[in-house]
Amino acid sequence: MAIAERPTPVLARSGTALVTPSSSLGVFRRPVSTTGWRSWVFTVDHKKLGIMYGVAAFTFFIIGGVEALLIRLQLAAGENKVLSANAYNQMFTMHATTMVFLFVMPMAAAFANYLIPLQIGARDVAFPRLNAFGFWCFLAGGVFLNTSWFLGGAADSGWFAYAPNTGSAFSPSHGVDFWALGLQITGIASLTGAINLIVTILNMRAPGMSLMKMPIFSWMILVVQFLLLFAIPVITVALFLLTFQRNFGATFFDVDKGADPLLWQHLFWIFGHPEVYILILPSFGIVSEVLPVFSRKPLFGYKFVVFSGAAIGFLGWGVWAHHMFASGLGPISVAVFSVATMAIALPTGVKIVNWTMTLWGGKLKFTTAMLFAIGLIIEFTIGGLSGVTHSVSPSDTQQTDTYYIVAHFHYVLFGGAVFGLFAGFYYWWPKVFGKMLDERLGRWNFWLMVFGMNLTFGPMHILGLQGQPRRMFQWTDERAGDGFFNGAFWNLVSTVGSFILALGILMFIINVVKTARKADLAPADPWDARSLEWMTTSPPKEHNFDAIPHVHALDEFFHRKYEEDEETGEIKAVSDYATIMAEQEAHADKHIHLPSPSYWPIVLAIGLPIIAYGIIFAHLLAVAGGVIVLLASFGWSLEPSVAPDSDYDPPADGGESKKELANLG
Amino acid sequence: MTTPRRNLRARLALPGGAVAALTLLSSCAKDAPQDTWQPKGENARKIDDLQRLPFYLAGGVLVIVTAAVIYCVFKFRDRGQGIPKQTHGKPALEIALTVLPAIILVIIGIPTVTTLLDLAKTSDTQCIINVTGQQWWWEYDYPVQDGCGGVTEPIVTSGEIVFPADTKVLLRISSRDVIHSFWIPALNGKRDAVPGRVHTLRMEADQPGIYAGQCTEFCGLSHAYMRMDAVALDAASFETWKANQLEAYQAPEAGSMADEGESAYAANCASCHQVNGLADADGNPIISRPDQRVYSGAAPNLTNLMTRTRFAGASFDLLTDECKRRLHDASPSEFSAIYLEGVTPQCLNTVELREWIRNAPAKKPMYANPEQLGPTDGKYRGMPNLGLAEDQLDLLVAYLTERK
Repeated sequence: MAIAERPTPVLARSGTALVTPSSSLGVFRRPVSTTGWRSWVFTVDHKKLGIMYGVAAFTFFIIGGVEALLIRLQLAAGENKVLSANAYNQMFTMHATTMVFLFVMPMAAAFANYLIPLQIGARDVAFPRLNAFGFWCFLAGGVFLNTSWFLGGAADSGWFAYAPNTGSAFSPSHGVDFWALGLQITGIASLTGAINLIVTILNMRAPGMSLMKMPIFSWMILVVQFLLLFAIPVITVALFLLTFQRNFGATFFDVDKGADPLLWQHLFWIFGHPEVYILILPSFGIVSEVLPVFSRKPLFGYKFVVFSGAAIGFLGWGVWAHHMFASGLGPISVAVFSVATMAIALPTGVKIVNWTMTLWGGKLKFTTAMLFAIGLIIEFTIGGLSGVTHSVSPSDTQQTDTYYIVAHFHYVLFGGAVFGLFAGFYYWWPKVFGKMLDERLGRWNFWLMVFGMNLTFGPMHILGLQGQPRRMFQWTDERAGDGFFNGAFWNLVSTVGSFILALGILMFIINVVKTARKADLAPADPWDARSLEWMTTSPPKEHNFDAIPHVHALDEFFHRKYEEDEETGEIKAVSDYATIMAEQEAHADKHIHLPSPSYWPIVLAIGLPIIAYGIIFAHLLAVAGGVIVLLASFGWSLEPSVAPDSDYDPPADGGESKKELANLG
Repeated sequence: MTTPRRNLRARLALPGGAVAALTLLSSCAKDAPQDTWQPKGENARKIDDLQRLPFYLAGGVLVIVTAAVIYCVFKFRDRGQGIPKQTHGKPALEIALTVLPAIILVIIGIPTVTTLLDLAKTSDTQCIINVTGQQWWWEYDYPVQDGCGGVTEPIVTSGEIVFPADTKVLLRISSRDVIHSFWIPALNGKRDAVPGRVHTLRMEADQPGIYAGQCTEFCGLSHAYMRMDAVALDAASFETWKANQLEAYQAPEAGSMADEGESAYAANCASCHQVNGLADADGNPIISRPDQRVYSGAAPNLTNLMTRTRFAGASFDLLTDECKRRLHDASPSEFSAIYLEGVTPQCLNTVELREWIRNAPAKKPMYANPEQLGPTDGKYRGMPNLGLAEDQLDLLVAYLTERK
């Protein structure tokens, strides 16, 4: 538990409030604000960090979305001139990089950070300052990456950055340096987050919550963290090789020095394929929470879903070369990876079956969250099935690097990952912000997005099978054909679709603004939910639970509210939220210590992009950044997890320090 | 949960319109030249035979899943019924629903592996052609061999890969700079051209004709302008084509424009673009050294430029639209003869050729700006703007028109 008990216990007294210092005397006094900007910037609270992850990731989502719209505008007509070849190449590189590394991954981190401690009945994550450090690394890396637009141009080599096209001879701007160093920094965020959440989930579950009683979302996040733990080091190595190749004269990818450029592809895809599951599994977890709640049934085959998730986690490491079927690996390797890729369809199929069976015989309530979850089942199935057609490796040599692949992974990542995230937004919004998102606007949001995405990505199946390659800044009428399957028409449809999709996302933003302005608060248990995060106030108190709940069953909260009549099998309400909460308050823990905020995570994180700028522009700057990192590391290691009493103002009544949070009546 | 009717109508207007438009468009159909479902040779046909079953099965599974979800949505919606029984799953059903797709995958997997091994075979090769990619064009060379009906001296060409129809051709694919990918969808799947490695790819066309292709591995700035055409000729015409490629150099008629053009070519172009047999004033052969100026180390050989129909990565036409259409629409029996006519003066598309020579980087994005050439020691990636005067262009075009 991250909650460090102080050596001499301080007794809580009834009626005390949280205290803040009346003045701040600089960095050597511990930040202890609970309000204002300081309370966010120096926070180590998993909930605040979760919200900040979400806001930052959504901002990058908008940036990546604008890049996507520019790409579609350029491709709306043959030989279009909205973007130059150079600008287009930067645009598709940054669109993918932004959506993968700066939107879906951190948005999943937002959900994980906010919800994992709540779902497993903990008061925070295992390493709260490391958690804050992870967030600031992600933000620093993301901002650093995007400053490349203003410093000579962004990366132009594709998000897969195949060597030797990333060499400085072939990509003379600093874009690829920004890309490699920026991802290195966001990689630190993923890695520290992975370690943190693994330790949290394995060690800090509420009493009675065995792993097989743990909510499915927490399970999927656990699998994802293990994937990150092993995948991120691989890309880290690859990015180091690339940075040294470009900046320090290394020859890892120089063919005339004896290098084999396929080295990069293997490194990239050994990371890159598990990465696909890193992107999709959190959303699988989200819909596996949403579908049961709005079907009023438990998740069908919980154990199968858990084990299929774990199976995906293992098999995901054995399929990377299916991205390289045309690379010339030789027929035996291709055959092995072809069959392995087919095998991974099985655990994925299990999930589709289980979700459908969860709906079966339920009492379905079509909230926006539920609509997105059902939407995911269908859209992801389309993406999964087109994936099976690529596993047939000879067919894949016709499909790879065409728009058919673009269609496939957008059904998986948009229809799968993003739909799941939106289901999560609508489902957990009242938990996080205490207000319900508007359901009417939500339906507009959903239908515009469904319609927009199918219109955008559906035609890409046709375009790809008609032979339109990816990553071409222009296509020509001569090779577009005519008749029903002509590329000109379907490219235009796709562009129109992308703007409808953007309109759907605009509806979400309008919904958020409207919800923030409205006064009425959400009911405490608006969905009649099943898991622990709903067994506390919305938004939760800083310490999450007044009393750490004892868990007896999967779907603990549901089982406290309802009981099954053993003879008739009828489900009867036996309790409700208010009763359960009153009971919790009555048994509230008397000593609750939370770790204090800290300056060091953000200071340490800011040192990293300074090193990166230094590597690109002036090595002396890198030394300065290194000094910051070193000092911050020392400051951090010497800092106790809880601030000493002297950092807090003495209470006005002259009593004992009121640092302790408990105000538990 | 009822949605106002007005919304529903608005929601249906666009797809309705789209369906109407599609019906209209489908009345006249000619598929794209890179359609992956229209095999024109043995290898592509094997892939096509293989891919149909997975597509149909995938379609079937999609219909079943969608139907099941839609059924649930209508059948089990909240109508005020009691809380359903809290069923936690049926292991027997789950196992059955895992085994069933496993069987489907075995059905797909076995022919996948056999086809894969079949397509990797090289022992039945009847003709070898080396294919080399570089930014942003392909070079094709025919090593001396008994295959391809016998090649006595190496032939080097670009723009179109010319080969005999109904012959098992083996391509040996490599690259001089970054990774490219060679792809003629009607004839076979794609294969990457990786520097330092040689990959093989089978190619066979049933009938004479021209088959479109495109580099499909992102290869930098002008990736979109790296195309290729594969030209299959009947056996006799292929013999004629080979003989023509190896014919001795024919100097232009003394005093003609082309003759002046020869000097202009020697002065401005020959340092990179080889024309076999071209000699300087002293009679010494002019040997091009593109490696001194071009980062990838090669530039297209222009000895027989007018036997090709496109140039600069097969992106621009040497033929006028009319002549091009005549060639592309020719029946397999007429095709070879028309192709062998080459680019006649009447068919020459001088517009594109002149634009190219006048300012190549303006027509196709290339790294030819001296300021960007630091990391390449001042070598170009692609052709630079030579800054030639209009009368020089006239002379060069006159000279090149005779390179048959």
